[in-house]
Amino acid sequence: MPEIKGKKANWLKIESFIMKGRAFIALIFVLIIFTIIVPNFVNSTNLVVMTKHVAIYATLAIGMTFVILTGGIDLSVGSIAGLCAMMAGGFINEGITIGSNTFYPSVPMVLILTMAIGTFCGIINGFIIAKFNVAAFIATLGMWYVARGFAQIRSNGLTFPNLVGRPELGNTGFPLLGAGSFLGVSYSIWIMLAFMLASIFITRKLPFGRHVYAIGGNEKAARMSGVSIDKTKIGVYAISGFCSSVVGLIIASQLVASHPMTGDSYEMTAIAAVVLGGASLSGGIGSIGGTVIGAFVIGILSDGLVMAGVSSFWQQVAKGIVIVFAVIIDQVQRRLQERVSLSQQVEEKENA
Amino acid sequence: MKKSLLFIVVLALVLSSVAAVSAAESKGLIYVITPSHSNPFFGSEAEIAVAKAEELGYTTKSVVHDDDANKQMELFETAIAEGAKAIILDNAGADATVSAVQKAKDAGIPTFLIDREISEEGIAAAQIVSNNYQGASMVAEYFVELMEEEGTYIELTGRDTDTNAHVRSQGYHDVIDEYTDMKMIAQDTANWDQTEAFEKMETMLQANPDVKGVICGNDTMALGAKAALDAAGKKDVIVMGFDGSDDVIQSIKDGGIKATGLQPVAAISIAAVEQADYYLTNGKFEKEEKQSIDCVLINAENACMYAKFAPIEGVTSCD
Repeated sequence: MPEIKGKKANWLKIESFIMKGRAFIALIFVLIIFTIIVPNFVNSTNLVVMTKHVAIYATLAIGMTFVILTGGIDLSVGSIAGLCAMMAGGFINEGITIGSNTFYPSVPMVLILTMAIGTFCGIINGFIIAKFNVAAFIATLGMWYVARGFAQIRSNGLTFPNLVGRPELGNTGFPLLGAGSFLGVSYSIWIMLAFMLASIFITRKLPFGRHVYAIGGNEKAARMSGVSIDKTKIGVYAISGFCSSVVGLIIASQLVASHPMTGDSYEMTAIAAVVLGGASLSGGIGSIGGTVIGAFVIGILSDGLVMAGVSSFWQQVAKGIVIVFAVIIDQVQRRLQERVSLSQQVEEKENA
Repeated sequence: MKKSLLFIVVLALVLSSVAAVSAAESKGLIYVITPSHSNPFFGSEAEIAVAKAEELGYTTKSVVHDDDANKQMELFETAIAEGAKAIILDNAGADATVSAVQKAKDAGIPTFLIDREISEEGIAAAQIVSNNYQGASMVAEYFVELMEEEGTYIELTGRDTDTNAHVRSQGYHDVIDEYTDMKMIAQDTANWDQTEAFEKMETMLQANPDVKGVICGNDTMALGAKAALDAAGKKDVIVMGFDGSDDVIQSIKDGGIKATGLQPVAAISIAAVEQADYYLTNGKFEKEEKQSIDCVLINAENACMYAKFAPIEGVTSCD
């Protein structure tokens, strides 16, 4: 009875299609719920504000996606963001002292230096993981402590206030990064978009991107086929560190102050966004686009729950349920895919 | 699949029932933003402000920033986008909060600060705090009295980034340091945290087993320290806190902790909401920006007269 089997296979295909777009479905789902229960939820101001909040988590999560695609994890992103915020704040308010000379770098210089520091932290992570064969969880947990420690050492636990710079030192303009906008859309959103497009290009078109997937899919096979495992691993952690530094800069700029606890526990939000976006923590499966949608789900959920007046304790419960629920769907999808390919094989056999 | 659909429906129902808010005939929306309610001090503070605002005919939203200045900024932006009329704020850092309050001001929304100040004046509509220095001096005087003006003591201070931690410590020392026989043998921060205070106290006891008194920057740390002392069998050590939380008041009644400085949280929250209402009704500010309200010393003699950071109506003695 090939006819019935064909219908069944089609139904399975539809089911599996729905499952593949689960982050997108979750996004539509939270949007609909909040549109119903929160008056004024969907208006342009509110959507821009929410996207701005999402941009911070999405930028972290994009870096995290590279790491997770290789089967690794980066717990240090929040701490690196905090360290970078403090370094940038220090450069602006206290300058750089070498010996008895103090000079104040201009704002573009501050940005470049800070991003270099974040990237360097990432490279250290990658180096330790690749060269000393330390588990990613442990290596980045170490960096989680070290970076947070240095962030507090930098100012002895205090906040660098009022990061506006001084005209006579030529270092004004830092708050523009967080407050400025282009075509009515904040810079942080443009940055997220630019990172997203660049990362999609890297993962789809460049050899580096294919190596990232290859390592996550099967590290031994990748090594056999000549992929430079160490370089690729160091590369992904460097990208993650770079994204963290940009997030640290954006937060410090928005607040016009840098606080040593900036970015505390943001790594969890980033990981959740990546997983919601369809990535597998064991590596090899996932996409940048999915991650960004995942970040939107979490961001809209956070802001929507606030606007709906849900108490903060219930907010945590709701977020936890959504994340775990998404991963359950992930497992269901895997099984469905197996069934689809099985039934296709059966069909082909019977047709033959 | 059917099960997952069912799950989605249930989640939707839960969310919508939790959030059922009627906006009919409201005088507008007031946002109450505080640190996490896991510390009862902030929980009461928010609860009292919400109750007062609703009594005056406003709708309210009570949200927490978890001492994360970035999250606080996000909450401010959400409040602005939602068209809030006023914000009552216990902030996430004196310096890191300035830009958020400025942003609200630019959007025409006044922010009434409670409990903690910010580092600039002229941006917030009001900064209403308890007189931490007066409260700390008062607790310190009682501490010296119970210590009989001599002996060793340990101080647990609050989070270094918080101005109140320094003001209270200053208040303690300006009094205690006058007495040359009072010797501080250890001082460390426990970051306002109960667990951290417990662990630090245990460690400090190893080095200083004969300590006579412990003075803490807040009540949660005092409870943590007291638990560690009790566990070590040192029930006679004199412990004092600051805040006046119900847990510590209970401990005072039970003869555990000796005293605390009660912050007039209820008075502060109510004053902030009333001043917000005055501004929204009359278009001008009722009082000058910086205001402080005195603390009250709570000890075994008056502990039963206070609850929820306010005097209990009709109770005038503990006999």
